[in-house]
Formats: sequence, structure tokens, C-alpha cells
Amino acid sequence: MGVMSWFKYKSPFGLAFAFQRITGIILLFYLILHLCYLTSLQSRELYETLTSITVSRQFIIFDSLLILCGVFHGVNGIRIIIHELGIGHELRRVVLAVSAIIAILGWIIGSYILFMALGD
Amino acid sequence: MIDCDIAIVGAGLAGMRAAVTIAEKNSKVSVAIIAKTYPIRCHSVCAEGGSAAVLRKEDSFDLHAWDTVKGSDFLADQDAVEFFVRECPKEILRLENWGCPWSRNPDGTIAQRAFGGHSVNRTVFAADRTGFHEVHTLYERLLKYDNVEFFSEYFLTNLAIEDNRIQGLSAIELKTGNLVFFKAKAVILATGGAGRLYGFTTYSHQVTGDGMAIAYRCGVPLKDMEFMQFHPTGLVPSGILMTEACRGEGGYLRNKFGERFMQKYAPEKMELAPRDVVARAMWKEIIEGRAFEGEHGPYLALDLTHLGEEKIEQRLPMIREAAIKFLDIDPVEEPLPVKPVQHYTMGGIHTNMFTETPVKGLFAAGECACVSIHGANRLGSNSTVECLVFGRVAGEMALKYIENVKDVKINQEFLKEEEKRIFDKIGKGNENPHTIKRELNETMDKHLWIFRNGDGLKEAIRKIEELKERYSQASIADDCRKFNVALLSTLEVGYMLDLAEVVAMGALLRTESRGAHYRLDYPERNDKQWLVHTLAYYTREGPRFEYLPVTITKWKPVERKY
Amino acid sequence: MKFVIRRFKDDKSFWQSFEVPVKKGMTLLDGLFYIRENIDPSLAFRASCRMGICGSCAVKVNGRPRLACETQLSKFKKEIKIEPLDNFRVIRDLVTEFEGFFAKHKKVKPYLIANTDYENPIEQLQTPEELKKYYIFTLCIKCGSCLSVCPSSATLESSLGPAALVSAYRFNADSRDRGKEERLKIVSESFGVWRCHSAMECSEVCPKQIEPAKAIQLLRRETLR
Repeated sequence: MGVMSWFKYKSPFGLAFAFQRITGIILLFYLILHLCYLTSLQSRELYETLTSITVSRQFIIFDSLLILCGVFHGVNGIRIIIHELGIGHELRRVVLAVSAIIAILGWIIGSYILFMALGD
Repeated sequence: MIDCDIAIVGAGLAGMRAAVTIAEKNSKVSVAIIAKTYPIRCHSVCAEGGSAAVLRKEDSFDLHAWDTVKGSDFLADQDAVEFFVRECPKEILRLENWGCPWSRNPDGTIAQRAFGGHSVNRTVFAADRTGFHEVHTLYERLLKYDNVEFFSEYFLTNLAIEDNRIQGLSAIELKTGNLVFFKAKAVILATGGAGRLYGFTTYSHQVTGDGMAIAYRCGVPLKDMEFMQFHPTGLVPSGILMTEACRGEGGYLRNKFGERFMQKYAPEKMELAPRDVVARAMWKEIIEGRAFEGEHGPYLALDLTHLGEEKIEQRLPMIREAAIKFLDIDPVEEPLPVKPVQHYTMGGIHTNMFTETPVKGLFAAGECACVSIHGANRLGSNSTVECLVFGRVAGEMALKYIENVKDVKINQEFLKEEEKRIFDKIGKGNENPHTIKRELNETMDKHLWIFRNGDGLKEAIRKIEELKERYSQASIADDCRKFNVALLSTLEVGYMLDLAEVVAMGALLRTESRGAHYRLDYPERNDKQWLVHTLAYYTREGPRFEYLPVTITKWKPVERKY
Repeated sequence: MKFVIRRFKDDKSFWQSFEVPVKKGMTLLDGLFYIRENIDPSLAFRASCRMGICGSCAVKVNGRPRLACETQLSKFKKEIKIEPLDNFRVIRDLVTEFEGFFAKHKKVKPYLIANTDYENPIEQLQTPEELKKYYIFTLCIKCGSCLSVCPSSATLESSLGPAALVSAYRFNADSRDRGKEERLKIVSESFGVWRCHSAMECSEVCPKQIEPAKAIQLLRRETLR
């Protein structure tokens, strides 16, 4: 069944697992893209043309999604580390809810800061 | 064709215990465990309360034997009982050594609880999942040995016997639907009871008495089949077992006036009288209108509320879980609705105390056999340990037997005929086997219940004959051989009808009341005429009965009072 | 109530609906038996104890594995969808191949390894506290629900899966056991504890609430010691 089986989740935990995988892949993809982007900046003109495209109102939605991916992947990662230490299995629903709230809060705050910075 | 030295049919406690013995004693003998289900899906996992064994100084072998004999209403063979009680403690300790999670005392020793009919706290237990843990322990132990092979989901169809010697057996491999022949020097039957003859029963769905019926058809007599145990506390309406440990731990039985009615019937032992006594008392309360009325008929109350949550959670967790899941009633807060339910087959394949049947090389152990240590009424917690003790004996006897058997000849005719019988002869009519089964269940529930009488029994026999007639026109509405459940149910119903006939006729002939067999028209025990075992032999015209005297060593029959 | 059942016959798969009259207190298993007894005798499913202790009857109900015998029909509205378990090869209808599942269980040496004598057994002591450390993990009924939802087992068939690892931990945590090292060696191989990605679906669907995910993590911690 392979990769598709990640998405046959039965509970919020399976959903979190699927998200963790997707966000991981997105972050990896972004990282590669980001490195390519940086290494290709050979001149000042090129830098300015590229930043004018990517640092813009239209692009902010992607940045915001990137923050979501990053925050979720991180927070959920910490949640899994906690459980992998053998701690808190009985409270796993609470832990999941709390981490989801933290991730969403982090995303909103991050997006807000980003938006304000760009707004100036 | 599969070749093995010893074939064990049935992967419950007795079958697996036999296999462990063989593997432990001789790693060169090949063992095949053939079973209708996977090993840990057997009915033994449903045993709840515990296993009796003399472990402490306050107790003695003689006391355990006396309790068992008195409980059996003196129909047990006392030499077998004396042997049995001496072997029990070792079996409990062996299971302990193999990892069984017995419940413990604070000092780390194995804990024991009170049980019906036992004079002291003698029942070793693992919460209220004793059978479950015993089965898993044995199964896991068996994984250690290389010479034991499991043939799971193989359905036994016939035994190959020539010149009164066993040669092997045939079975349907459910996965493919093919008939497979097992060549074996010795065969141990451990196929369990016949509880599904009844509709209201604690048994698992697959316990249809196949092994008993097949042995019976092959000419091995069945012993004491009229003795069916009724457990006092089956959950209404499903019949799920509420273990005797509920009462062993201090639970009460109450009628609709809130009275502990057992006071009237067994003033000394109260709720902890043997099962036949309690079941009869409960049925009397129901008949005389002192029971609660519910949508599923009358019931009595099993009151555990005074035990407290901690004790119930620790000692009876599964009971609580089942009551909540199936009835939405928490026994911590509310009494449970219960009534007597069919629970155990005291009778079975006739064996001596070394598990040998009259056929050479064929052994039987566990509930499908009748060594006769239970007599007319089994004491709670004696059955799981019986499986262990006599499973072991069967294993040892089979090992000893095959030493002198060089090779068995295979009769090709047998296989051909069996193939023809199963696939060409059965199920060519249009009668739904499930309807036959349902009517059989209703008949048994009505006429062969706790109180029996001549007219009812005659009516039951007439009905069974009619069903047998209809069964010859049964249908198998499935042409695909793979996992053909229609074929399976049809075969099972055929076996059940044979057994039902033996039960009903045996009960009609036994004109007395003893243990679990209570005749309203003959309410007294009659030791002069009936201190004998019933033996039923198969003939084409129906069972032929013979009687065998009971072995008495130390204890002469006396009046049975609790 | 409408039962929509995914059936497999002669290597063909199809959906079939049955109308089942539902009474109060009826379970899914009762419903399946109703179909077999009154409508289609060829409907293949496994069932035994009907009280949630034998582990035969795990099926997928509306997408989630459940024991048919413990599932009250009153929980569902008009329609109920029943399929065989995922991650198992189907033999017929709701019956799946369990040989592989039991083989995995066997692999972890799920028996007590100790120096005891068969002929002369002795009473080993174990306090209730020591018992409590592993008791919950002895309750596994091997129904296969956990394996059927485990994403790691879905991607790699040879991965041991939750049930087998629970067994390994159960014996490792038993104070009477002396085979810890042997078992740790097995479970720390590539198909063992490190295949677990903590999706924790097993703990969610386990009908006995024994937290397989926890057992796996505790086992993992042991392999690092």
C-alpha cells in the first residue's frame, strides 16, 4: 500500500502523523529550494529582482503556510519525543490538544509578525 | 496427506497441555495440533473464576477430594478424583513457571479465593480472566518447541480406525476447503463440550461437540451425557458468564423482595453452595414468581454493590467491563440481572483415569472426555485444572503408546469415502440447517433444562427425531470451497443432533435425581439402582445404553446438604 | 438497519447490502449471525466467544477496527459499513489471513525464559507491585486491530507491528524472566521497535485499551540501556 497508507488515519493521532510526514516533506523541499535560491544569488541585480518577487503581499500566503509547517512540525515533534520517552501515554489526548493549540497560536503570532513587518 | 506421530485435535487448555508434555519429554516426536480455530480463540479463554489446587497447609488432598466427590453427588470415580487432586498443585506451579500472571498475595505468594462447594479458599486465579491467561501461557510456551506444528482452522470430519486401532483422521482445511488426511500413530481428542446444544448458554459459538460426536459415531461410547451443568449467573439476555468468583468474593443473590433467598436452600454455604444447588434454587424462585420481570423475561439480581469499586476493579475487572459494555450497567452501582445458564458438559467420551478410550491409540482429555471426576455435578474451578492434569496424562500416555507402534497403514478407501460423504452426500436438500439448530436449541432449553420430567423428555426425543429426519434434507447454500461456513454449520448441526439424542434419551432413562440431573417425577436420589455411569453406544437406530458401576474408594454416599 | 458488507469471493470483491432488524442490546456480531442464518449462509466471518476475550471477530466498522461482538448497533444510525481488516490479506469476505500475524508474535520469543524444572516446579514469588508492572500488557487478545491501522506495518510488511512488540515488553517487564537480552536483540533489528513512528493509532483502536504505543516506547528505552 505504501505511502498512501499514511492517510488512512482513524483518529486525530493518525492525522497528526500524516501532517507530520507532509510538513516534513514540505520543509525538506523548501530547504532545498532555499539553498538553491541562496547559492544562485551571484549579483546585486539578481538579488533585487528575486526579492521583489518573493517578498511581497502575494507571496505572504506561502510564507504563512511555511510558518504553519515549521511550527506544527516542531511542536508535534516535541510531543512525539515526550511520548517516545515513555511519558504521558495515558494523557495523550490532552497532550495532543495542547500541542495543537500551541502550534496554531505560534502560527497566528508568526503570521501576524510577518504581516506587520511587511506592512511597514 | 500429512504425516505426524501424534495428532491432537483441539487447541484449548487440554490439547495444548498435552502438546507441551510431549514436546517437553521427547523433542523427536512430531506433534500436530489440529483445531477449528486459532489456538488462542478456543473456548478455554472464557473460563473466568479460577483453578482449584491444594497449595497451603490449611488445606489437604483428602479435603479437596471429598469436596469434589460430594459435589459430584457421588457419581465421580473416586480413584480418579484422588489422583486428580494430587496433580493439581503441580500444574498450577508449572503454569506459574511458564509465566502465567496469577494474582498474588502481598507477600508474593499465589493468592487463592473462595469458590462454590469448596470448604476452604482453594481457587487460584488471575483476576477474572483465569482461562484467558492459562491459554495464552500454554500457547506461548508451545512456541518454544520445534516439534509442535499448529494446523489452525482445520475442521475435524472423521477418525480413521481399523481393527480398533487409530490410524489418523481427516479434516477440512478451511482456508482452501480441501479435505486433508492426517496420518498419526496416536490421536488425542480435546475438542471441548457440547454447550451450543442449548440456546441460552455461556459457550462460544464454535463449541458444538464435534469431537464427541465423531468419536461416538466411530463406536466410542459417550458417558454420562445427561448431566449438563447450569451456572447460576448468566447475564440476561446474552448468557455471558458472570463468574462464580463474584459470589466467591462476597456477592449476594437477591430476589425481587431483596431477600438473599439462598438462606432457604443452603443455610450454611449460602451463595457458595455448588452450582446445581444454587441454579435449582434460582429456578425455583423464578417459577414461584419471586423474580424480577424484565423485557427479556424473569431474572434475579447479582448484587456486588457492597464490595466497593476497588475490590471489583482488582478482582473482577472483566465482569465489570462486560456488564458496562453489554448492558450499560456498572456493577459497582447497580445489581446485575442474571439467571441460570447452561455452562458445562459433565459427560463426554468414555475414558479410564489414564484418558484411554476403548480404541487403541485414541485418547481424550478435557471437557470432551469423561474420566469422571465431575460425576453428576462439577465444582467450580475444577474444570480448567482438569484440562491441565488430564491433558498432561493424555500426552504421556500417547507418548508411551507410540513407542510400540511402528507404522500405521493408510487406508485409501477411507479418504475416498470421506471425500464423497462430505462433498457429495451432505447438503443436497433445501432445509436451512440454522432453522434446525434453532429448533433444537429451543427444545433443549425447554425440556432438558434444570427441571426435567418424563413427558417433556419424551417430547424432546420426538422433536429430535423429527429434526434428524429433516436434517437429511439440509442444504449447503454455497458452492465456493474457500472458507465455506455453510458446509461447516451443516456438519456441526449433524453432530449436535446426535449428541442431543444421547442427552435426551440418557436423561429419560435415568429415573432419579442426582446432581445437575433433576427429575420432577423422580425427585430422590436412588443409589440402589442408579449409582452407575451411563454409557451410550452408537447404532444406526439410535443410541444403545449400558451401565457401568462407579468406583468408590473412601467415601460412601451420604445425604448431600450444604 | 442496513448492513453494507465488503465481500470477497473467488478473488472478486464487491459490496453487498443486507437489511437487518435491530433490537435493543443487539451487537454487530448478532447482526452478522442474523444474516448468515436467515439471508446468506455463505457470509464468512470469524466469531467465537462473543464476549470480547477471544479476539476472533475484529472487523473494520465504518472505517475503524472494532470487535464485532462488543459493538452495540444502537451506536449507529441507519447504515453500517463492514470491511475486513486492513494490512491483512483477505481469504474470504471478512476472514483474513492471520498466519503472518502469529508468526511475528512467535518471532519475539513470547514465553518466560527462566531456569525452572519441568518435573519439579516451584512457587516463584512475585509481589502485586511487580505483577502490576506488566499485567496490563498480558491482556492482548491478538485481534489484529493494532496491526491493521499501523502505518509502519502498512509500508513494510516485515515490520513486527504493535501486538508482537507488546508481547516482547510484557515478558521483559516480568520479574521472573531472564531472557531480556535475547528479546532486545530481536526487537532492535530493522523490523523492530525502530520501525515505529509513533502514529499511536494502535493505542486508539485497541479494544482492550492496553496502550501498545507505550509498550513499544518503553521497549525502545530498554534497547538503549
